[in-house]
Amino acid sequence: MKGFITLILLVSTSISSFAVEQAEEIFKQLAPSLYQIRLIDKSSGEKSSIGSGFQISSDGIIATNYHVISGFARHPKKYRIEYLDHQGNKDELILQSVDVINDLALVKRKTDVEMPFFKLAQQVPMKGQELFSLGNPHDLGMIVVPGTYNGLKKESFNDRIHFTGSVNSGMSGGPVVNVQSEVVGVNVATSGNQIGFLVPHDKLVTLFKAFNIDKPTSIKQQMSEQLSRNQAKLITTLLNSPWKSKRLENAIIPTIDVPFIRCWGDSNADKTDALFFATVASCSLDENTYLSSNFFTGSIEMEFRYLQAKELSANKFYHLYEQQIQRAGPGNKASKEDVSEFQCHHDIVKSNNQTINSKSIFCTRGYKKFPQLFDVLYLSASIDKDKQALVSHFTMAGVEQSTALAFTRKFMESISWK
Amino acid sequence: MEIIIEEISRGHKLIGQHKLSKDDILIGRGYQNDIILSDPHICPDHLQLKFNGEHWLIEDQGTINGSYLEDGKTDLNNHIINSGDIFSIGKSLLRIVFVNHPVAETVRFSAFENFINIMRHPVMLALSISLFAVVTGYIFYLNRPTEANLSQLLAPVIGMSLLFSAWPVGVALMSHLTKHEARIMTQLGISFAFFNLLWVSDIIQSIVKFNFSSNWPLSNLFSLIPIALAFCLFWLNSYIGFHMTARRRIIVSAGLTLLFFGGSYLIQLSNKPEFSSRPHYDATIMTPGFMILPSSDVDKFILDSEKLFAKAQKEAAKKKGE
Repeated sequence: MKGFITLILLVSTSISSFAVEQAEEIFKQLAPSLYQIRLIDKSSGEKSSIGSGFQISSDGIIATNYHVISGFARHPKKYRIEYLDHQGNKDELILQSVDVINDLALVKRKTDVEMPFFKLAQQVPMKGQELFSLGNPHDLGMIVVPGTYNGLKKESFNDRIHFTGSVNSGMSGGPVVNVQSEVVGVNVATSGNQIGFLVPHDKLVTLFKAFNIDKPTSIKQQMSEQLSRNQAKLITTLLNSPWKSKRLENAIIPTIDVPFIRCWGDSNADKTDALFFATVASCSLDENTYLSSNFFTGSIEMEFRYLQAKELSANKFYHLYEQQIQRAGPGNKASKEDVSEFQCHHDIVKSNNQTINSKSIFCTRGYKKFPQLFDVLYLSASIDKDKQALVSHFTMAGVEQSTALAFTRKFMESISWK
Repeated sequence: MEIIIEEISRGHKLIGQHKLSKDDILIGRGYQNDIILSDPHICPDHLQLKFNGEHWLIEDQGTINGSYLEDGKTDLNNHIINSGDIFSIGKSLLRIVFVNHPVAETVRFSAFENFINIMRHPVMLALSISLFAVVTGYIFYLNRPTEANLSQLLAPVIGMSLLFSAWPVGVALMSHLTKHEARIMTQLGISFAFFNLLWVSDIIQSIVKFNFSSNWPLSNLFSLIPIALAFCLFWLNSYIGFHMTARRRIIVSAGLTLLFFGGSYLIQLSNKPEFSSRPHYDATIMTPGFMILPSSDVDKFILDSEKLFAKAQKEAAKKKGE
């Protein structure tokens, strides 16, 4: 037994020393094609945000994250994009193409000669395979972080690689390579404590291929099409997936049986002095699309709240109930620059099967840059029982009119009393 | 020949009236005069009025500060007096009328007189205040997130009732200070009757908001009820507390209403953020018993919601140009 443990120890030491050597080798070899990508504020001449990038063609195409250069995409007059290479050279970059859904962007530097570049992998790595993440965390200089491939994140709608290794801010846009130095992913996010997320390399391959065939003329138009396509795909998937009925005390609520919608629950059963019993089930999409630091889209959330009065008059119950539904807000962050104010409609609506009568509220706001897209908020409060109530609520961000209404209808039809 | 001489204030309010049946009248500060005035700017022998068998003539006795017709600086000597003429001597005003001078029409008791008389009756007053207190207490009870007992509600109820009595008491005090009758019980009775009517209008508004969809264009009309009620209250307050012309009373009440509601509207407007990321919707719900209209169905709701998209799109496009 003792010998066995030693053996494992020995093997693991040898692996780690091997890994260090490998990392060094990889870094030396790839450094000329690695860049720090900086967003420079034109008026002050100073950098306002930084990320990483890597060259993927001999003629100067560099891949990075969309969120690294989003400031430029939004305010081209305020910023310019600049690179800093391993020798300290700086020059301007030109934005070529983006994939907002997968958080990727292609920028181009000027080149005089053919330059070395990263090769994109042909295959998906195996679970447990060793990978190396490269980037410039917190402007500390280029580093290499060894880690492990742990497959795709299970509950994501748009694929993300789960990478076990430290991905820190500033490394965004940096490549993640296998031992053959081929790119298998792009650093994009972290959940802290060695949990990192990468954009799979096939998304970059697709973007780069499309770019080589036909360079987009307008980045805004490209983003608009991507957002429309993604919302259509998401909502169609949701509408075509099985909607299962579920009991929430005396009410029937829907749950959508898809892995990327995750649900949570809570109740005040532990609070004995509460005037009414309340239980909440909420489900949401765990991801959203970054458009700028204060504008996110693509999120969906649903919430169901069942209330039952204890020893309370109906009047007081309804008074407290009303306070529960007064302050519904959007599920995504957006500013005055991005969206209009909400337009609302309310009515008392009886469900088609006549089982529940509710005050229903529908609100929507339009996107200023993408006129076909809307944020939607729906809230419905049952008003047919003296001492029981059901609040059903959802918000959706960045949806088109037809998909939003189709979802609303299906949602309304799947709620009833037991 | 009989003549009436009135001392009036600069605002033409009556201070004193004298009716004399002489053909020769002396006015001044000296005690030998028929009408003795204490204004120090008036001379001991100031004015003389004489009846010549046909007209009254007026004559200044060579005074230091002179005598004038109110409207100008016309010399008064041998001026023929017309009924209703106003003269300025020193800093005082005199109005002279003859016995055949027309008087204003008798003011009828207002239709509200009955209502006012009922409301100021101590029993009705007590009832109004108790009703107000009960409703206030009930609203405090509804708003408390925990169970409340009677003694916990008593303090806010007494506080609110005292706060709301400040208005009628204030009006009564104003009447008293402006040399009118205070009539505090009447003011209290009327005010509390209207405060209770405001509760009723609150309930009506809730029922309307609850029952009607946002398609119904008249919902906003119901928010005019409290404004109309406030106007009526202010009108009655001034009717009870002050003597003024009907036109002036309407202007004063309208002004107060505007100050009150316009002021709170302005405060709301200035507190409103430039952009609100939260939706503003009507969340009024009431117990099932208050539902009086039939419900819509899902199709209708979806159809109505559909119209919002064009509106939101327009709204989003509009601000782009700014």
